[in-house]
Amino acid sequence: MELHLTELRDGEKGIITSIKASHGRGHGGWRAGRGWGLKKRLEDMGLTPGTKIAVVKSAPFRGPLEVYVRGSRLAIGRGMAERILVEVNR
Amino acid sequence: MTEKKFTIALAGNANVGKSVIFNQLTGLHQHIGNWPGKTIEKAEGTLHFKGYAIDVIDLPGIYSLSTFSIEELISREYIAAKRPDLVINIVDASVLERNLFFTLQLLELETPMIVAINQMDMAKKKGIAIDHKKLQELLGVPVIPTVAISGVGIYDLLEKSVEIIEGREKIKPVKAKYGKEIEERIEKIAGMVEKPQFKYPARWVAVKLLEEDEQVRKETREINPEIVSAAEKLAREVEKIHGHSCSTVITSERYEVASKIAQEIQEITLPTKPPMTERIHALTTHKIVGYPIMAVSVLSIFYSIFIFGDYTSGFLGDSLFGLKPAFEGMFGTEIVGKLVWGGVMEGIIGGATVALPYILPFYFILYFLEDSGYLSRIAFLMDNFMHKMGLHGKAFIPIMLGFGCNVPGCLGCRIMETTRERLLAAFVVTLVPCAATTVIILGLVGAFVSIQWALALYVINLLIIFFLGRLAFKALPGEPTALIMEMSDYRAPHLKTVVKQTWFRLMEFVKMAFPLIIVGSLVIKIVEILNLLEPIANILSPVTVTWLGLPAITGIALIFGVLRKELTLIMLATLLEPMNFAQAMTPVQMIVFTLVAMLYIPCIATIAALVKEFGWKRAYFITVFEILLALLLGGIAFRLLSIKCLATTVV
Repeated sequence: MELHLTELRDGEKGIITSIKASHGRGHGGWRAGRGWGLKKRLEDMGLTPGTKIAVVKSAPFRGPLEVYVRGSRLAIGRGMAERILVEVNR
Repeated sequence: MTEKKFTIALAGNANVGKSVIFNQLTGLHQHIGNWPGKTIEKAEGTLHFKGYAIDVIDLPGIYSLSTFSIEELISREYIAAKRPDLVINIVDASVLERNLFFTLQLLELETPMIVAINQMDMAKKKGIAIDHKKLQELLGVPVIPTVAISGVGIYDLLEKSVEIIEGREKIKPVKAKYGKEIEERIEKIAGMVEKPQFKYPARWVAVKLLEEDEQVRKETREINPEIVSAAEKLAREVEKIHGHSCSTVITSERYEVASKIAQEIQEITLPTKPPMTERIHALTTHKIVGYPIMAVSVLSIFYSIFIFGDYTSGFLGDSLFGLKPAFEGMFGTEIVGKLVWGGVMEGIIGGATVALPYILPFYFILYFLEDSGYLSRIAFLMDNFMHKMGLHGKAFIPIMLGFGCNVPGCLGCRIMETTRERLLAAFVVTLVPCAATTVIILGLVGAFVSIQWALALYVINLLIIFFLGRLAFKALPGEPTALIMEMSDYRAPHLKTVVKQTWFRLMEFVKMAFPLIIVGSLVIKIVEILNLLEPIANILSPVTVTWLGLPAITGIALIFGVLRKELTLIMLATLLEPMNFAQAMTPVQMIVFTLVAMLYIPCIATIAALVKEFGWKRAYFITVFEILLALLLGGIAFRLLSIKCLATTVV
């Protein structure tokens, strides 16, 4: 089933299906959507659709997520992680 | 004999040991500046090898050549337009896939290139074996394994560079092949682009147009708008086929290529028990244990710097002030003597007693923590908290530094990614009560009113920071802040690199701040010699006396405080003589005075740091804003406290 990355349990793995830009890209290129630069950044860091991702843990008090992607460890702020959709086998 | 020259640019992800390689290559012949018009650091150095003078440019650590950050833009402009003779791409052996993603983009820029696979030792510990010869075949450029920290492979890198420059080694870079749908469209666009007006290779322009790269679109539009609209149409076709934006598809496919190469050249045998670094990582980011560890390390660092700074600062000040008779002997005690000593020398002393005792150790520790990897763990733990004031986890570090001294705090804001985040963090830092401000709070309110009031002022200050941080976050336009950060494996920092980084940044600060500090202290000295202090205090009296309810003389103390904040207290004591604070001021006046002194202006060294990082305009804006804020709050506090005093007659 498809879940937000933030809904995964610690240690759970999934496959990225898409990343939502916060306001849609619309017309006029990347400046139109405020979150588009961040989406691009995530993709550049290797979080492209079809990629395996594992949530290692999340920092307390709704802090960022520690994830494992393409052999490296990343910290992703919770707001950003909410926009990452993941296919999970449950 | 004149030496032949050539230029090498170092490019690669962050945390791959790029600065260590830079330091190994250039030694002490370095120059740290800024990229023209940008607040991004530019490190350059020269070295001599086999009859060549080689210029080395250390490009910022980046993950891609898109336009997410200024660093990425600078790097690709530099490689494409300035055309260094050679690019050395430094790759982290233990995170091959993502590093090769960047390598592929560099190859698309069709620049002569060598790949250095660095941190081979760390990869080995993680059980990763790499066939670098195979990588050389696959990429079509020379590949050299290195362990920068111990200097392994550095000589080979240089030798290979010279071979390429002399044309003895021919390189045929391989281009990343995308999927059929993309390749067809790249060809179509590249066909249109093939004109000499473009500074970039045609294929690269085509790829970037399909990725809807704003910068390339703009540049292409100026040459031929038809190409842009054709590319837009083609990109939309791809989007229809794949169900993702064309840029996502291209990034995806590029990663596929990188992944395939990585799988072909590396063999992973997982070690039986997790390495030490993993266990340290787990502990330092632990939900419960992580925080006390952080608190203890931050506090102990803080405490030791404070002790060191206090001692060294006092010692330096005393010994430099010991020179006074000598100066007076040389220049007399008349106007010239006063200007030379009171203006220039006291300015230098003021700068030196901040720069050496506080900034030097702060810088050292900052780079040490950054290099080891702990900084990113602190950011991980503090991210949520910092978000409350519109910043993300990384900003915790400069703000923490600000409690010691605002100057390294402002300069430390460089660790943030975008100009906006840097500015926000620096603004917050200038409001943080530094060591000198703490001295005022404790020395005046703490000693003469009550320790509770001193603490209350501290708390008020923190509340103001919190509130204004949020406000500035809302007011400043731009992308929202979010933490996307690599937590690379812990490693032992390369001490020589850390020391050099510290030293060169300190020198850079000294060059920027000292002139400003000296001019500032000269101006105040001249005002003093011309006997203008009283008149100025009188001019200020509507503000100080009427609005803030303070003795007129405090105006002078506040002016001196611009040089160094603790001077407000020292000057005040001198000006009030023979009375002490308790005799000359009411408790309310002391509280109001301290509140104003706490907030009213970043000291001149901090202003210098702001100018250096953000330019005159923004530094000016922050300064004026904080003066107005301090006056506003001071006036309000005066009125509120007066009412309270009338009611209770005791504070």
